[in-house]
Amino acid sequence: MFFILLKKELYNEFRSRELILSMLVFGLSIILAYAFTSDVSRVIVANYAPGMFWAMILFVTVLGVHRSFSYEKEMDAFSMLIAAPIDRGLIYLSKCISGFIFLTVMEIIVVMPFFKFLLIDFPPNPLMAVGTALLINLAIMAVASLISGIAMRARLSEVLLPVLMFPLVSPVIIAATKISGGIMAGDPYQLWQIWLLIIGSIIVIFGLVGYTLFDFITEE
Amino acid sequence: MAGLLLFNVWNIVTNTPMVPDQHWAQKIFYVHVPSAWVGFLSYLVVMIAGIMFFIKGDDKWDDVGLAAAEIGTLFMALVLITGPIWATPIWGKPWIWEPRLTTTLILFLIYIGYFMMRSFGGHIERIRRYAAAVGIIAFVDVPIIFVSVQFWAPEIQSHPQVEMAQQPSGILNPFLLSLGIFTILYVLMMRYRIHVIRIINKGVENV
Repeated sequence: MFFILLKKELYNEFRSRELILSMLVFGLSIILAYAFTSDVSRVIVANYAPGMFWAMILFVTVLGVHRSFSYEKEMDAFSMLIAAPIDRGLIYLSKCISGFIFLTVMEIIVVMPFFKFLLIDFPPNPLMAVGTALLINLAIMAVASLISGIAMRARLSEVLLPVLMFPLVSPVIIAATKISGGIMAGDPYQLWQIWLLIIGSIIVIFGLVGYTLFDFITEE
Repeated sequence: MAGLLLFNVWNIVTNTPMVPDQHWAQKIFYVHVPSAWVGFLSYLVVMIAGIMFFIKGDDKWDDVGLAAAEIGTLFMALVLITGPIWATPIWGKPWIWEPRLTTTLILFLIYIGYFMMRSFGGHIERIRRYAAAVGIIAFVDVPIIFVSVQFWAPEIQSHPQVEMAQQPSGILNPFLLSLGIFTILYVLMMRYRIHVIRIINKGVENV
């Protein structure tokens, strides 16, 4: 059942491309804003780059998850979805994994302009940067999908989503910045492994909480 | 209750020893820490009420959750006010991203979102469920937030009074008394607030 739900999300996106496209354009606009507002020495920008990158991803995620749930509102598709005899926790997991895929695709496209426009050097160990970024994306989506599941059917969901999500996701953002900062500086793994542990525990805890709570949240 | 609170203030002012390098500033500790204790206790109650609401489906638990969220946020605001007042003479700055205060701030912001959702989120039946969920998620997030904030700025020291057990009895006893009085105050406030919320709900139902 999970794969059917995931397939639905991916098909939907593959046909319209509105989610990735809007995330992508928004991401590029943020990079442009960064370029104009960070007219400082290259060393400062390079040190600040991990924070800038994950702040951008945070903003883009809000747009992405909001869109991902709000198209369910059109023609009341979500009511039909929860009327289906399926485990509702799987809806959360499918939203989480599809969001993770979209976010990763968006990052792959946006990462080159980010480094090139802001004149930042690539990290010394790109493979490690990619691997950790995947985990971070999953952690962000585990939190964001749960919050948007709560906020999206409330009134003013576009306001409530970032207001509730940003403080809750703050441990992920701290960890992400520390991990990427460590990789960019070429620090040994031991110096930032604790942050990977935090990211891992967020994925597990929010995955379980989201899976369990989604059943209650979506009750009618 | 008012008598107890006045006695507490009198006890703190007159019966506690001066800490040499902090002088009067340290007195705020007897209000700051009990406020934090009541705040976190209250948010724990919000989580328990949320879980019970989901299990039993009874609106009574939502009243408990709402009352605890309101009172918890009030005490968290007190922590966020008294913390910088204490920090200014001790650390020279009102805010240095001390892990506990930062955790309090993040929780406070989550609960601002909680109240925004409750006040303009839409249909009350739905909002009750969403509020219960946010209450659970917020408290589950507390240890993660605390650990990450602590490792984020390890050079920042924790509160001056970390090891309560090692404090002399001159400090420990008035502190425990203050803690007890704050807890009694919390229980009374909860009972009163739940009562008021139920009267308001009844009024809404009768209209």
